[in-house]
Amino acid sequence: MAGQPRESGEGRRRDFLLTAGIILGSLIVLNLPPGSQRAVRQFLRETVLSPLLEINGAIARMRERALDFNVLRAQMDSVTALVAAGRTLAEENRLLREVLGLAERELHRVRAATVIRTGTPGAESVFLLDAGSSHGVRPFDAVATEAGLLGQVQEVLSEQAVAFDWSHRDFRASAMTPDGRTHGLVEAARGGYREQDRLILRGTAYLSELDAGEELLTSGRGGTFPRGIRIGWIAEPAEASAGWSRNYYVDPAVHPGAATHALVYLDSAADSLAVDPDSASGPGPPVPR
Amino acid sequence: MSIRVSLLCGGLVATHLLLHVALGLGKAAPDLAVVALLLASRAVGSAGGAAAGFVLGLLEDAFSVVSFGANVFAMSVVGAVAARTRELFVGDSIPFLAVFLVVGKWGRDMLVWLVSDAGGRAPFNDFALLESPLLALYAAAVGLVARLVFARGPLSR
Repeated sequence: MAGQPRESGEGRRRDFLLTAGIILGSLIVLNLPPGSQRAVRQFLRETVLSPLLEINGAIARMRERALDFNVLRAQMDSVTALVAAGRTLAEENRLLREVLGLAERELHRVRAATVIRTGTPGAESVFLLDAGSSHGVRPFDAVATEAGLLGQVQEVLSEQAVAFDWSHRDFRASAMTPDGRTHGLVEAARGGYREQDRLILRGTAYLSELDAGEELLTSGRGGTFPRGIRIGWIAEPAEASAGWSRNYYVDPAVHPGAATHALVYLDSAADSLAVDPDSASGPGPPVPR
Repeated sequence: MSIRVSLLCGGLVATHLLLHVALGLGKAAPDLAVVALLLASRAVGSAGGAAAGFVLGLLEDAFSVVSFGANVFAMSVVGAVAARTRELFVGDSIPFLAVFLVVGKWGRDMLVWLVSDAGGRAPFNDFALLESPLLALYAAAVGLVARLVFARGPLSR
C-alpha cells in the first residue's frame, strides 16, 4: 500500500523547512539554561495547567479527609503520649543547656501542605505543594510526613512549590543512628523498576556495623535537613570499601506515591549544640558521669 | 483534517491531561497524547505534526525538573515522521493503524530515553524491551478503540 506525494515541490519545500525549524526549536528548548527552563515550566503550570492542578489538589485533599477516623484517633493518641512524655524532657534539656552554656534550642517552624503528584513522563520523582513563597517556603526546605522524610523543595512560586522526593537522583541527606554514633550520607538507589527504588547509606565507619531494622534519622549536618527526622530503617549491607567504610541499603520510612499531606520545614536546621554567645565563661563545669 | 478527527484528537489530549495531570494516574493511564499526535499527524502534514508535537511535549515537560525538553524533542520528531508515513502508506486499516500506534509510541519513548539525563533514566533493557512495548500496546489498544468508536473514515486528507 504505497502512498504518493500529495503536495507540489514548493509546498513540500516549505513544509520541510518548517518541520526542520520546529525540530531545531525543540533542540533549543532541550538545551535552554536552567533559569529559562524554570520560567517556561512555571508559566505553563500557572496558566494552561492551573485548572488541572487545582483538580488534582482537590482530589488529594478529599483523599486526606477520607482517612479512617480510628487511624487518625490512634495517631493522635500516640502523639499525645509523646508530648506528655516530652514535657519533663524539655525542662531537663533547658537546665542541662544552662549548665553547659549552650544556646537555647531552636524550634522549627513548619507549614502544612497538600502533596500534588502528576503522572506525566519525566515527573516521576517530582511533586507539587500547595504552599509557596507567600507562606515562607524557600528552595531546599525539607519536606516530611508524619512517617518521615519525603524530599526537598526545589522551585518556589508564590502559592506553589515544586519538590523532589528521596527517589530523585539528586537527593542526598546526612544521616545518623538515633544514638548519634554512626553517621553517613543517604542517597537514592535505583531498582530495576521504580517500585523497587530504595535508599542507600554510604560512608559509615567500617568498624561500626549496623543491624537490619536499625532506625536512621537526619543528622542535621550541612544545614539542609533539620536534625532528627526519620529517614528509614537499615535493610541489608551493600558493598564495603575494603576496610574503610560500609554501605547499607535502607528501607525508606515514606513511600512517595502514598503521601498526600506533608510538612515543610521553613527554617534551616540550627546547630542544636551551638554555644550561647552571651555565655561569658563559656561552657560550665563538666557534668559528672 | 475532518471535524470528527479534530474532535477525536482534542478529546484524546483533554482526556490525557485529565488522567495524568488532574488525576495523577501515571502509567496506569494510557499515553493518549501520543495517540492523538499520531492520528492528527496523518492528516495535517509534517510541519503541522511537528508543531502539534512541540506543544504537547511542552505541556508534558511542565513537570520535568531534570530532563526538560526531552518530551518536546521526542514529540516533535514523532509528529513530523508520522506525517511522512502518509506518503509511504495509504489507507487506515486496523492492522496498519495498530502497528503505526505501537511503533509511534515506542519510538517516542525511545527518543525520550535517548535525550533524557543519563542519571535519571531507567536501565535500557528493562525500559526498551519490556516496559515501553507494554505501554505502547496499551496506548495503541485504547487509541484503536477510540478511533473505531468516535471517528470512522479516513484520517488522511
